[in-house]
Amino acid sequence: MSMKDTNSNIPLKLFLYLIAFTILAPLVILVLWTFTSRWPWPNLFPTSFSLRALEEVFAPYANLLPTLVSSILLSLTVALLSAIVGTMTARALVFYDFFGKGLIKLLTMAPNIVPGTVFAMGIHVVFIRMSLADTLVGVIIVHLIYTLPYSINIMRDLTSSIGQQMELQAYVLGASPLKSFIYITLPLLAPGVLASMNMAYITSFSQYFLTLLIGGGKIRTLSTLMVPFIAKGDRSIGSAYALIFVLSTLTIFIVMDRVIKRLSFRNKEENL
Amino acid sequence: MNKKTPYILIMPIVLLGVLFIYGLVNGIIQSFGYIPALDLGNFTLDYYIEILKDPTFIDSLKVSLKISIISSILAMVLGTILTTALVYTGHTEGKTLQIIKLAILIPHTIVALFSISLLSQNGLIARLFYNLGFISAQGDFPLLLYTENSLGIILGYLWKEVPFVAYFSLALMNSINKTLGEASENLGASRLKSFFYITLPLSMPAISKAFLIILTFSFGAYDLPFLLGATMPKALPVQAHLEYMHPDLRYRPYAMAMNGLILAVSWTMTGIYYLVKKKKGIKGDVHERY
Repeated sequence: MSMKDTNSNIPLKLFLYLIAFTILAPLVILVLWTFTSRWPWPNLFPTSFSLRALEEVFAPYANLLPTLVSSILLSLTVALLSAIVGTMTARALVFYDFFGKGLIKLLTMAPNIVPGTVFAMGIHVVFIRMSLADTLVGVIIVHLIYTLPYSINIMRDLTSSIGQQMELQAYVLGASPLKSFIYITLPLLAPGVLASMNMAYITSFSQYFLTLLIGGGKIRTLSTLMVPFIAKGDRSIGSAYALIFVLSTLTIFIVMDRVIKRLSFRNKEENL
Repeated sequence: MNKKTPYILIMPIVLLGVLFIYGLVNGIIQSFGYIPALDLGNFTLDYYIEILKDPTFIDSLKVSLKISIISSILAMVLGTILTTALVYTGHTEGKTLQIIKLAILIPHTIVALFSISLLSQNGLIARLFYNLGFISAQGDFPLLLYTENSLGIILGYLWKEVPFVAYFSLALMNSINKTLGEASENLGASRLKSFFYITLPLSMPAISKAFLIILTFSFGAYDLPFLLGATMPKALPVQAHLEYMHPDLRYRPYAMAMNGLILAVSWTMTGIYYLVKKKKGIKGDVHERY
């Protein structure tokens, strides 16, 4: 039995390694291209390295730092709003019966079956009329709409598994509804809040088309800055931007993780 | 606690939902040629009929369908194998799973860059082929990018979607294998048999849902075909955006009619999925974890 097990696992193991390699190899190549100054055909390895690509993207005229900061702030705003709206909607769907519940359920999934391009072109004219086109608020709204299905799903699962029992007990003992939510349920929801913020952040940070059309080129993000270089096929500058994209995202994820863990921990201590 | 509470809680989603539907309906109304601001005031199917007769549009439709169907089927098959590999080699958490997640986090725009540095005629794979003696010049390497065969786009989608299918269906397959799969093995079924008769069929709700998600997504997505696609024919969303940006605003209804057809196709795909699901009696819905 055990002999047969090991044998049947070998092809699966090989497949797993092959996939892991296929995922990691392009990332290594990304780093190589960022520091390459010459990589002529048919060499498998760059012939010389330099910081030229990084110097170019960090040059003042490239506007990287201000764009990066505003881009991160935009996506953090979307992530926070998405977690808040997701938590609220999940709560309504799990704990209450109300008029139009079925419609709200349908609505929460709708962006999944309407491609971003189709929605963006439809809403663009509306936004022009409402003076929301080419504005930060307009971009935040469309990003939010496309991140909410994930947030609501995550928060719904967690909300229903936590239940309302403990919160109701605090309420019965005299705490206000808001207080009993903040001190009892919110710390328990923290992992879901983190997961939905991560998901919303990366979805917003990755948006190219929605940002470009609704932001009209006025709202600049790291994606809208990076894509023209990829479109030109500029491997070294494109890779430098992509590397900054990946590293900044991972940094933000680590920071979000720390902040949320600390907040929920502090809440629990106050509780005790 | 209070009758008003749920209505307060759903206020933001209702507001955003109204905006979402308003945008969608607005686009669809324009596709029927009703744009009072441009002095177009008649409801007509002309724009739909015209683009359906236009060979450029038909070519775009074919390219979009080809990209999404081929990449999604391959991603589903390879993704299922990957899920199986993760479950049966005991890698359902830890570093390997982190690598899989990494692919889900990388945006399509950066995947396009990967395609360029690996698959172009002077890319790394062509160099490898040259050094191994498979080809004798750059030009011998097949054209995979910016060309009608769309292989660069398909491979780009695979890079993202194989890990996605695995991540999406991992939890379900793992729990089924742990309970029913191992139980049937204990009762004497061979490992292969218990996989194909128990674990795989019961994992199908998650796998088929993942398939629907990537199928409709890749059909309506813009980034990869925009960055790696041929000049002619362009994928539908790219072509629709081009019409939309036309300086002559009278082209607008054509763009919207293309969007209408993109919607019609994706909703047909979704409809077929639910019909098949109902017929096969696949029970239970899978919450989207991603």
